[in-house]
Amino acid sequence: MIDTTVLIENVLNALAAGITIGCIYGLMCVGLGLIFGIMKVVNFAQGELLMLGMYVVVYLFSVWGLLAFLGPYYGPFVAALAAGPVLFVGGSLLHKFLISRVSGLRTSGSLDEGHFGQLIITLGVSLILQNGGLIVFGSTPVGVRTPLSSRAWEFIPSEAWDVSVFFNKARTISAGVAIVVAILLYVLLEYTRLGKSLRAAADNPTAASYMGIDVEKAHRTAFGIGAGITAIAGGLIATYLSFTPFVGVDFVIIMYSGVVLGGMGSIMGAFWGGLTVGFVQQFSALVLPPQLQNAAIFVVFLMILLLRPQGLFGRSAERA
Amino acid sequence: MEIQGLTVAYGGLVALRDVSITVGEGQFVTVVGPNGAGKSTLFKTISGSVPARGGDIRFFGESLLTMPVARRAHLGIAHVPEGRQVFKSLTVRENLEMGAYTEAGRKNWEASLKRIHMLFPILEERALQLAGTLSGGEQQMVAIGRGLASAPRLLMLDEPSMGLAPAITDLIFERISQIHREDGVTILLVEQRVAEALELSDHGYVLETGSVVMDGSYRTLMQDDRVRRAYLGIGEE
Repeated sequence: MIDTTVLIENVLNALAAGITIGCIYGLMCVGLGLIFGIMKVVNFAQGELLMLGMYVVVYLFSVWGLLAFLGPYYGPFVAALAAGPVLFVGGSLLHKFLISRVSGLRTSGSLDEGHFGQLIITLGVSLILQNGGLIVFGSTPVGVRTPLSSRAWEFIPSEAWDVSVFFNKARTISAGVAIVVAILLYVLLEYTRLGKSLRAAADNPTAASYMGIDVEKAHRTAFGIGAGITAIAGGLIATYLSFTPFVGVDFVIIMYSGVVLGGMGSIMGAFWGGLTVGFVQQFSALVLPPQLQNAAIFVVFLMILLLRPQGLFGRSAERA
Repeated sequence: MEIQGLTVAYGGLVALRDVSITVGEGQFVTVVGPNGAGKSTLFKTISGSVPARGGDIRFFGESLLTMPVARRAHLGIAHVPEGRQVFKSLTVRENLEMGAYTEAGRKNWEASLKRIHMLFPILEERALQLAGTLSGGEQQMVAIGRGLASAPRLLMLDEPSMGLAPAITDLIFERISQIHREDGVTILLVEQRVAEALELSDHGYVLETGSVVMDGSYRTLMQDDRVRRAYLGIGEE
């Protein structure tokens, strides 16, 4: 009897952790979904953009303390949102000086659509950022101290059982912020003129230029937004996890599996993909040792793709 | 629009040599010629995706060659490219909205949309469908509609009949002619269906291996033996 109660409690708590962490992963995947899924740019430095987002929070909040006046409750979340614009600028510059040379109009119609060049350049950028991070930030794990990281809301589903579900406060608020940011991006892309022009420029750069869309600028903007979104997710993760400059390596794989799982080219799909990955990760912790959590992600990843090769939300725009 | 002495080359390969073409306001001008004559290159040079090596293109007095690609659409040049090139992952309506990206297009959006739906009723039915899921003919209609949505001063159509069934081609030609007659849009057409295309136009140019070899009205060209033999398959051998 006691065993059943414990089991139910564990499952419900894994569910709670899965949803909250999943939403943050969802946002992280949305950033890559824009860059890789929609714009078709292979970016292996996405994990490092996430890492930079995390350090932006650390610097704004703890090291320089620019946002410390907001207090330990709001400060870290405001700092996480601020990481967005910072990495938007960083991402735009990265695109302007490097990525634009191996993507967009320059490679449209070429054999590999610039993917080989993108692979090598972004892997290089990734290594530079990791090791540059090591020089600048050091190898000591850091985190953002907010009292919310170690507090939780307790939720008791029923008086009849002796079961409580805990929602970690830092993660839950982060999940809320992640959902709001993801919805804002979705609305921007689907319903605004800017968003539609970004999608058009990604879909067919040559035709977009005939429409009078400045394709270079559109690609730069989309890349910057994708970088900024992932950086915000990184900032949110920083509120409950301590990290080093190599943290991106763990997350970049999660991001790619989330984007592919959700279906290429769909922002909503990328979010659900990330959510699924978060879920699987937390649930596998019930039965598997922590080292095998990422393996569990890939087992589920492969199973879903076996059944639905186009991803959960993938839709083929080509006529069959 | 006036094109003077235009020369274009890809690497060492000359695609256009000293080409001069004039398109008057409100005119319907057709460029015909075999594959590889440089017809598409001509269009790409006008809309700016291919740079020119020499010569000049003036559009309402302004020189286009030094102008960035994206600016040219804002001047009122609509390019309906070869192979349609619709935005496959966008809906039909979104494709038309992107056509109206220019200022003129936005100002006239309501009227243009109504007109496009009148010319191609199927596009209203399919408004929310992804353009990539349409048939070739429907995609061609989207491409032409997208061009019209910019409220253009010059509509350039590159082989709108390519890959389409004869019945659809006839319909497309009929609509292009309507756009010219009823909306007074200046049209520059490139076609391999020489007879049909020339019949619609005020003036025709024959382009062969990068040079204009002949030009004239429909009647002049149709009476020329070389044109008849080479493009229409008629005339005595």
